[in-house]
Amino acid sequence: MSTPQAKVTLFEASTQYKNWRYSVAQLARIRRDLNDAAVAIIRTKFDTDELGSSSNVSFLNADEEVLLVKLYITKITQLCGLFRFPEEVEATAITFLKRFYLKNTVMDWHPKNVMFTIARLTALFLATKTTNNPISLEIYTKHIPNTAPNDVLDLEFLVAQSLGFEFAVWLSHRALWGIWLDIQNLPDLTEKLQPELYDTALNHIRASRLTDAELIYTPSQIALAAFSLSWPELASQWAATKESTELTSLSQITEDIKLMITSCGRAPNIESVREVDRRLKLCKNPEKVIGSKAYLARKREEDRKVEERRNKKVGSQKGTDESDPFGNELSQRKGGLVDYEDDDDDDDA
Amino acid sequence: MDTVEKANAERQRRWVKDRKVGEGTYAVVYQGREASTGRKVAIKKIKVGQFKDGLDMSAIREVKYLRELKHPNVIELLDVFSSKTNLNLVLEFLDSDLEMIIKDRSLVFLPADIKSWMAMTFRGLEFCHRNFILHRDLKPNNLLIASDGELKIADFGLARDFADPGYKMTCQVITRWYRPPELLFGGRYYGSGVDIWSVGCIFAELMLRIPYLPGESDMDQLKTIFRALGTPTEEEWPGHTKLPDYVPVGQFPKTPLRDLFTAASADTLNLLSKCLIYEPRKRITAREALHHPYFFALPYPTFPSKLPKCTTQMAARPLEEVDGNVEMNSTGPGVKARNSNLKRKLTSPDVGEGKGRSIARRLDFSRHTPGS
Repeated sequence: MSTPQAKVTLFEASTQYKNWRYSVAQLARIRRDLNDAAVAIIRTKFDTDELGSSSNVSFLNADEEVLLVKLYITKITQLCGLFRFPEEVEATAITFLKRFYLKNTVMDWHPKNVMFTIARLTALFLATKTTNNPISLEIYTKHIPNTAPNDVLDLEFLVAQSLGFEFAVWLSHRALWGIWLDIQNLPDLTEKLQPELYDTALNHIRASRLTDAELIYTPSQIALAAFSLSWPELASQWAATKESTELTSLSQITEDIKLMITSCGRAPNIESVREVDRRLKLCKNPEKVIGSKAYLARKREEDRKVEERRNKKVGSQKGTDESDPFGNELSQRKGGLVDYEDDDDDDDA
Repeated sequence: MDTVEKANAERQRRWVKDRKVGEGTYAVVYQGREASTGRKVAIKKIKVGQFKDGLDMSAIREVKYLRELKHPNVIELLDVFSSKTNLNLVLEFLDSDLEMIIKDRSLVFLPADIKSWMAMTFRGLEFCHRNFILHRDLKPNNLLIASDGELKIADFGLARDFADPGYKMTCQVITRWYRPPELLFGGRYYGSGVDIWSVGCIFAELMLRIPYLPGESDMDQLKTIFRALGTPTEEEWPGHTKLPDYVPVGQFPKTPLRDLFTAASADTLNLLSKCLIYEPRKRITAREALHHPYFFALPYPTFPSKLPKCTTQMAARPLEEVDGNVEMNSTGPGVKARNSNLKRKLTSPDVGEGKGRSIARRLDFSRHTPGS
């Protein structure tokens, strides 16, 4: 019983395939646009805070942001070691973090005094849940210095929103495991397969997590490249059995990924990160730095809005009480639209 | 406002909540519509603020799997957005569920109707299993019925990916009456067979018009199963006595399914028996079931829009009310109706109050949901 979409593979039907794969050029453009927009906004904020003050600020460029994200990825790995989380939690959290920073900039969400590390802690916490390895938030934050449960909860929605609420991630180490099992069925396999071979390939997968590979290539392409790095002949022998008509382009892709893993799959140089991190502290979005003029201004604006709404509510209640029994309030309602804000207030209590 | 939050707010504006149709401890369900098209939707608002661990597992599971699964027989998740401390799932609006239809005594089912519901259930389930997803809570009130008669598997709050061999899963899943014996014996390594057992129970219930194996407790559930299908032997189900919570619950003889399902065809009973095989690995798969002769024999499945529909909306009532009060010997009118002249009511579903109750009753968060 074939369905109309019989030719679409499972992976091609996934949100990862549809929404989270880019060309190298697309990726660069997205990051540049995001960076440009953020710099423009923050520049205005600085100038509102104090005219001309933005000219002294050396903002981060897109590449420098990527460098920092890479640093954060290594921190996720450290944390996962601390908690002994399974590989899929770590890999998923790293994917979440990369996707998060395709929608948010480091400059927005890195103010040390408020949000230090929280975005990645939240990404990791969310990953424990989406991979079915939940841990209590209290225990989680207890093991992380200077972090309260609410810090993580406060960002959970932002992280989930940034991910488009798409929590299913196809991971390349799973694809590698599949190749490893499959390769043992190769008909003319002469050499003995040593487990170290798999371990070496797995380390290449881990290295690939520090690169953009997963945003550009499919998990099985990355897995094949990782395997090819550890045993090229066997990898191409296996690939040949797959009867793909695009073997030539596949081998080109494999080579591209291998190059990416060997050239970029390393933790960033500490000195260069430190320099970027120092500049980051100077160019954080002032609205999100507690105590800055811009922060206070935004806070005041928010308070004013809340106050306004409260007054409106009180006012409208009064209105119903005092006006004629037929009520004139109805006319104010827009046709059928629910006031979401109001609606939520009732439930938050 | 940040780009992401802005996008979220835009999504929120796409949907309009019209009225509250159900309320549970952690969620409220609204009937609503798409602002631009007027398309009817259900909006399930989960109050995340109440969970100390943030987004809860059942919401995460539901969103994770429904985001990926697009199939005519799986409920469609149209959108997700957050509002303050709430998570909102925008789902396609469905009129009723199979439980309501089974319980509606004014309806008579033809064998072709049952075949149609079974075909749709197996199609949806085959799609889930093909995507390596176990549903783990199949029961009539999680099989929702659209206004065009199409059946849709819903409530993925207990779903999970298949585990690799050697990885433990919880056995505290699936509503008791639909729970297979391997879970009742505490099995922690299992596969798609658990869902197939549930479908077998639903199949039987469609014919009997009452729950087929209504145990009063987990222990009684095993006894109820064995009373109906005979106590399994070591040969039939090798190794079952080694399962963690195995206890002997008495020896019951095998009675032919024919004794209870007097009017069912041989194909029907063959498929049913293959769903209810004790040894989970021998149980039929969803894919095999779709190729079973039952689906190719006459009568052909009823076209979905011609299926019996609920005439009246049933009042919401807890499942427990029925628990234990079922006569095991009553076969109900189900299969016997094959040659009867009883006229079916093909009235269009009532559009009145209480329409959303099928959704409301689904908000059962009281069950045990361990995190594995």
